[in-house]
Amino acid sequence: MAILQRKSRVSDEIPTASMADIAFLLLIFFLTTTVFEEEKGLPIVLPEAAAEQVEVSQKNIIHFLVQEDGAIVIRRGESTAEQVVAFSQIEGIMRQEIGSNPEIIAAVKTAPNAPYRHMINVLDELQSANAQRISLQLWER
Amino acid sequence: MAKKGGPFERKSKVGAEIPAASMADIAFLLLIFFMVSTTFRREQDRHLTFPKAEATQKQDEKRKNILHIWIEPDGQVYINDRLVPMEMVAEVVLPLYRASDRRLLIALRGDRDVPYRYVNSVTEQLREANAVRVFFHTDLESRLTRERR
Repeated sequence: MAILQRKSRVSDEIPTASMADIAFLLLIFFLTTTVFEEEKGLPIVLPEAAAEQVEVSQKNIIHFLVQEDGAIVIRRGESTAEQVVAFSQIEGIMRQEIGSNPEIIAAVKTAPNAPYRHMINVLDELQSANAQRISLQLWER
Repeated sequence: MAKKGGPFERKSKVGAEIPAASMADIAFLLLIFFMVSTTFRREQDRHLTFPKAEATQKQDEKRKNILHIWIEPDGQVYINDRLVPMEMVAEVVLPLYRASDRRLLIALRGDRDVPYRYVNSVTEQLREANAVRVFFHTDLESRLTRERR
């Protein structure tokens, strides 16, 4: 009997002291490896299809013509005078235009074969200049 | 030091250790919570390069009200992982727009090199479907990298 009563020195419990460390390690691993998909971009509201055609005075329009190679040409109103500009100049020009005429509409006309990114560059500059009235069109020559 | 048997020798019955036995439960609970609340993107990766823009804004709209439209460099349009012919886009978007209680926000995810006529065709189709709230998906660009361009 005395022999059977003897207690074993080895603990019969599972060591749980490190369990918390393991769990937190897993937690931190998943927290750091998770990538969140953000919805981000340049917002614009398209004109409705049913909207009636509104006549806009030509002096309230500034045309940005985007060519296939990414060159930007500005044409103001009805005048045929063309001004070739760099992307970085557009923001300043647009701020000036808005300052002198808050009603101004920026019409971005993109050539059918021009890469999308050139149009985005112009739109980016216009939105950086806080332009509210933007029209996107296909440039049909 | 207090003398042996003195009043300061008396042991407190309250343990001086922080109870760590439940720590594992807490950690696993957090782990399970984050696992359950994580949503995975449903679409497959399309390996498109999005254009960069400095004016990129975060769009605050409920996930279920955002519809992704992908435009591949060759002009193929994918909606909800299905290839949609260009002239069918309005027909596909219209029921979704109605189901969303007219709050549908379109995420146009075009590759940076898509010829613009494809983007224009998609926006024309969206206008037909009355889904006029659109944003062009772009990656944020810092002013420094832009000035180098």
